[in-house]
Amino acid sequence: MPLNIVSLVSVGRHPQSGRERRAEQDGRAVELGMNLEASQSASMTVLHAGRSVEPVLRNYAGMGLPSLEVLELSEQDDAVPSLAQYLKASDADIVLTGVRAESGESSGMVPYLLAEELGWPLVPRIADIVSINNGVAEILLALPRGQRRSLSVPLPFVASVDNAAPAPRQSAYGPGMRASIDASQVTAVTDSAREQWQEAPAKPRPKRLKVVKAKTAADRFKAATAKPQGKAGKVMKNESAQEQAQEIFNLLLEEKVIK
Amino acid sequence: MSGETNSYEIVRRDPRAEWIARNRLHPLHGTISVGEEAEVRGPSGLIRKNPHKVGFIGPNGIKRIDRLKGNAAAAATGRRSGGAAQEVQLPLHKVENPDFSIFVVPDMVGGRLTSQDKDILGQAHKLARSDDGESAVQGVVVAVVFGELKDDSLDTAGVDRLIHLDGEEYQGYCPEQQLTALVHLDATYNPQNWLFPDSVHGGTDLGSRLAARLGERPAVQAWQVDKKTTVCRGASGSTDISRPTPRILLLAEECADPIDETRHEVQPIELGSVPRVISRMQDMGQVSVDPNAIPLAEAEFILSAGNGIHNWDQFHEAAEALGATEGASRVAVDDGFMPRFRQVGATGTWVTARVYIAVGISGAIQHMQGIGQCDKVIAINTDAGCDMVKRAALSAIGDSEEILAELLKLAREHKAGQSEGGDQNAA
Amino acid sequence: MFFEWLHPVLIATALALAVIGAVRRANLWRAGQPDQVNLIAGLKAMPKRYLHDLHDVVERDKYMSKTHAATGGGFVLSALLIILVHMLDIDSKILAWALLASSALMFVGAIFVFKRRLNPPSRISKGPWMRLPKSLLAFAGSFFILTLPAAGVLPEGFLLQAGNVLLTVVLTALIIWGMGEMFFGMSWGGPMKHAFAGALHLAFHRRQERFGGGRSTGLKPVDLSVVQEFNPGTSEQQVLGVSKPKDFKWNQLLGFDACVQCGRCEAMCPAFAAGQPLNPKKLIQDMVIGLAGGDDSKYAGSPYPGKEVGNAKGGPEQVITEGLVSAETLWSCTTCRACVEECPMMIEHVDAIVDMRRFLTMEKGDTPNKGAEILDNIIATDNPNGYSPASRTNWAADQNLPLMRDVQQAEVLFWVSDGAFDMRSQRILRSFVKLLKAANVDFAVLGDEELDSGDVARRLGDDAAFQNLAKRNLETLSKYKFSKIVTTDPHAYHCLRNEYQDLGSDALNGVDVLHHTTYLNELVKQGKLKLDSFNGGTVTYHDPCYLGRYNGEYEAPRELLRSLGIQVAEMERSGFRSRCCGGGGGAPITDIPGERRIADMRMEDVNSTGAELVAVGCQQCTAMLEGVVEPRPEVKDIAEILAGQLIEEVH
Ligand SMILES: Cc1cc2nc3c(=O)[nH]c(=O)nc-3n(C[C@H](O)[C@H](O)[C@H](O)COP(=O)(O)OP(=O)(O)OC[C@H]3O[C@@H](n4cnc5c(N)ncnc54)[C@H](O)[C@@H]3O)c2cc1C
Ligand code: SF4
Ligand code: SF4
Repeated sequence: MPLNIVSLVSVGRHPQSGRERRAEQDGRAVELGMNLEASQSASMTVLHAGRSVEPVLRNYAGMGLPSLEVLELSEQDDAVPSLAQYLKASDADIVLTGVRAESGESSGMVPYLLAEELGWPLVPRIADIVSINNGVAEILLALPRGQRRSLSVPLPFVASVDNAAPAPRQSAYGPGMRASIDASQVTAVTDSAREQWQEAPAKPRPKRLKVVKAKTAADRFKAATAKPQGKAGKVMKNESAQEQAQEIFNLLLEEKVIK
Repeated sequence: MSGETNSYEIVRRDPRAEWIARNRLHPLHGTISVGEEAEVRGPSGLIRKNPHKVGFIGPNGIKRIDRLKGNAAAAATGRRSGGAAQEVQLPLHKVENPDFSIFVVPDMVGGRLTSQDKDILGQAHKLARSDDGESAVQGVVVAVVFGELKDDSLDTAGVDRLIHLDGEEYQGYCPEQQLTALVHLDATYNPQNWLFPDSVHGGTDLGSRLAARLGERPAVQAWQVDKKTTVCRGASGSTDISRPTPRILLLAEECADPIDETRHEVQPIELGSVPRVISRMQDMGQVSVDPNAIPLAEAEFILSAGNGIHNWDQFHEAAEALGATEGASRVAVDDGFMPRFRQVGATGTWVTARVYIAVGISGAIQHMQGIGQCDKVIAINTDAGCDMVKRAALSAIGDSEEILAELLKLAREHKAGQSEGGDQNAA
Repeated sequence: MFFEWLHPVLIATALALAVIGAVRRANLWRAGQPDQVNLIAGLKAMPKRYLHDLHDVVERDKYMSKTHAATGGGFVLSALLIILVHMLDIDSKILAWALLASSALMFVGAIFVFKRRLNPPSRISKGPWMRLPKSLLAFAGSFFILTLPAAGVLPEGFLLQAGNVLLTVVLTALIIWGMGEMFFGMSWGGPMKHAFAGALHLAFHRRQERFGGGRSTGLKPVDLSVVQEFNPGTSEQQVLGVSKPKDFKWNQLLGFDACVQCGRCEAMCPAFAAGQPLNPKKLIQDMVIGLAGGDDSKYAGSPYPGKEVGNAKGGPEQVITEGLVSAETLWSCTTCRACVEECPMMIEHVDAIVDMRRFLTMEKGDTPNKGAEILDNIIATDNPNGYSPASRTNWAADQNLPLMRDVQQAEVLFWVSDGAFDMRSQRILRSFVKLLKAANVDFAVLGDEELDSGDVARRLGDDAAFQNLAKRNLETLSKYKFSKIVTTDPHAYHCLRNEYQDLGSDALNGVDVLHHTTYLNELVKQGKLKLDSFNGGTVTYHDPCYLGRYNGEYEAPRELLRSLGIQVAEMERSGFRSRCCGGGGGAPITDIPGERRIADMRMEDVNSTGAELVAVGCQQCTAMLEGVVEPRPEVKDIAEILAGQLIEEVH
């Protein structure tokens, strides 16, 4: 039986311009799905809960998708009930999502809520699906700084795709414009809790300064007169190579990159 | 604490603690510790000195009493290095009959609290404190720790109670089991709040699982939290959402200041049996990743080579010995010494390493573009005037081969020292 | 007798075969897409175009131009006269003598061709082309002899005498060989095809504006609306850009057929010289294989560096990048137009390359290396490196520049370009602002309203992104009044001046788009800038492709340098033959590996003049040349040099 994959996509947000775009992780979810399509003869549905006229959907389609499914919802609606309903009715084996949406609440709860609703395992932050044999997938989890953990998980499951997964392929204009976007009407549930919230552009959070808890007057004096951590770094010109290397090595130890 | 060591100890004052001790109305007044050391707090809270224990033996063998009460930093510095400086004993914060509890599930990377964990314990105490004036309720901060626990600073980090779960079912990767335990705890203790670090080390995952299971809507990337309102970041950090503080909070780094002026009880809570689940996800262990196989963009520590490298074998050896991922300037790539995927810069990879060592790289703008996000740059270069040196936090001016040779030596000594199990090279 | 009708029949047969071949060939071209050209006017103008435009280019090689005039002129005349004298058998001494003269002329020309081919430079193709001088000699020689009786030099019927049978047989053989090459080969694909296709190519050229000394360098826009359409009469979806040879316009296909494999393009191509897998001559020949079907086993010129000849196959209905030309080849091009400038047949390599890139980017989503990322950035932030659009004017925080939004009109609109985001380029921008202020120019900038010009997106094949940017820029421009746009970026300059006009906006009607060197030169001539003379050693000047070849501005920068008392130490390759810095066409982004860096070669050109300073007029060139490792001469934009010599008046 061919494997059924559903990749969920949302409207991303460019960090600099704030403009809508293909979300980084959702794009990776689609990429992963496409790769499984090729290697496992799986079939993938790309699903969006939102407005079907959303131009960003064309960016996903441009990866070479013949079509996208849309559950027609407005911006105030809660996507989870409709998605859950859709997935329950589908025969999906794998549901792929991003870790956290780039727009809206960005809570990262969607995969968890879906997994809970479906009663499936949730595999967080995956870097790759290495193989699927006899209904069991071997998955690589992304750990910080390029480390990986290997898991085996029985189908069906929900997985959120980490930035460490293979980057999504380029989106091409032609296929993006040609793809069909199939919208279906669903009963919308308004996210009423959210209506009570107040949203404002993010206030800058000052980075915490290294507070010197001065215990003595001398410490206080030192803290007050110490050169502020300015731009210029330390330059070792006349020291011997041995001394220089020691200083570098100490910094590496201090930074804990050498253990 | 023996008198011998005492004789070299410097008495340090904690003006705040003294002030609290003097001020009977201070909420922490009762918590100020009474120790049996040289500095002893009397019933009034004032420090009393035991003159027989205070002081040090002067150079001529005569015992001297420090009448400067530890403020004589200058006089003391010479001796400080001699004995291990004793940390001042912080006042103990005791919670006898808590009205409610705040549960914190720290990441405990490698069995130790992360700095984010400490911030979150600080946040927990803000929520536990009854500082709103009206009610005199007092909360207790409970830490739930899974698996290995190596940290001995839980007391000063603010853990009032500790639930430590380290049965074999909690070894390795086991979020499903952890979730089951948390659900059990939730039913047993009904905490007022659950606090998780919003982090890639597992906090986000566990918090989200618990929220989904309990049907609570968590606040994520929360960074300003009080009892009523929580401000969290939304839309990939571009908006601030203000909302009523929910039961489950996934907290951002530096959401609150860590505890630093009190000690806490770390009283263990023994649990009855915690239900076990059969994990559907089976942990096959961490995959060992060769530093050089880590994608350049993800690498934490990069040793990067430019036109100023003349001994390539040595460079590779150094990278291996230091456990660094290799990078390169375009010239090194163009000249065929490094493969293309190692190139850092505008037309190569944009790296995010915390530490980036640029060996013989001049710092052309196209290269600099690639290391914009690096935290600490270290330059090794013959030219003190080059742009890389201007960018670097630490620069060694000299021949790359010589300096790398010394580094290589240090790295090998360090390794050897480690494998002997001793830390004779630590100094 | 046998011989009496032999030659007329031979000639008629050869001509008939030639006509059949010509029809067949024309059908190959007609497989291409329709394009609007005035056929009659084109044909009428063709001889003049041949004599002027084409020969202007050939003229750069004096030896070859004389040779070609003699051989080609002799041949055209001879062919006409042969038909009259030998086929139609018109008995006229005058015609016969004329034929003698023309075939003699051709013969002499052919001797020179022969001599050129004795020790040919590597850029020239060998193979069938090595046979051509001999064929020319056979044709001219045999008809010369054949005509001798008709001219009365030899007795009538001389060749028919029994004793001369051998001569006649040999002569007939030569005639067959000559006519085979010259008539049959012309339309059936021999070297002489260039004459036939070349003549028609001149008549139906896709860029008619180039004739008569004109310039036409802007890329033609893609009709994006065809994306939903099907090819007429088929269920095949129309594609954007060129996927198969038949997706080219028919006159582009015709143009490929005109190539004489002279290799002048190859000799000029910076990517070829750098050992990247591109050779413009081979590319055009591969296009010929594509349009006619077949493989490249007969190709006898230099290969794409690093790629063996003999493996390329193609046909009109086959995807070009699947077997005929590798994508790498297409992405190696810097769009410097050196090949186009040099091509005696006025073939448009860059159009073809970009057409094929369009398919790769807009249909396949296969822009190599950083291409995809840069395009994503351009789309999401209107600048290639993904900076915040709101930070576009940060560089000018201390410059107090008037914004168009505030002033609504100004004499000059200063188009800042994406150099605004780059620290090095900002030095150029500041220098230019300093000069504008010193000359009291009434100018303003668009500030954050300005967007990337679309240059990079277009050269990388994303015409959708280009058109989007261009339209939004034009909309902004249409809100304000100004009479000139001046920019320090030749790429933006080219887009604004030559490419925005196709997008149906009148925002730029009556507006002069100028490069800063042109404008500064005007200011200096008007005495509005007081400049000290420069004495900083030897200076050379690097012509940016998009300023020089694309826009014909070679003089203003040099005049400016002269006005500072600088004697430009010219590089061997300068002016219209300037060698690219390697920075155009998105080449630094796609970054196809070669054996050398183009910028390094250019720096060698600079070094060979002994210059201590290389003046440029482009931020991209500055970046590329400064990317060459030290020690090397200093690199400065002309605006920076001028600003350094400005005598500031103290009021
Ligand atoms: C469009 C474009 C894109 C580019 N993209 C990139 C890119 O992505 N990445 C990139 O790196 N470059 C890129 N470049 C090239 C860039 O401009 C520089 O040329 C390149 O970074 C220089 O490399 P380097 O620092 O190794 O060499 P150099 O500039 O030659 O510097 C070598 C350094 O080594 C020092 N040195 C020499 N000998 C010794 C010694 N024995 N011990 C210690 N130090 C020594 C010298 O003092 C000097 O500072 C790009 C250029 C262009 C034009
Ligand atoms: S394309 Fe032009 S320049 Fe190049 S070989 Fe052909 S005729 Fe010559
Ligand atoms: S435009 Fe320049 S780089 Fe491209 S083929 Fe022509 S000469 Fe070569």
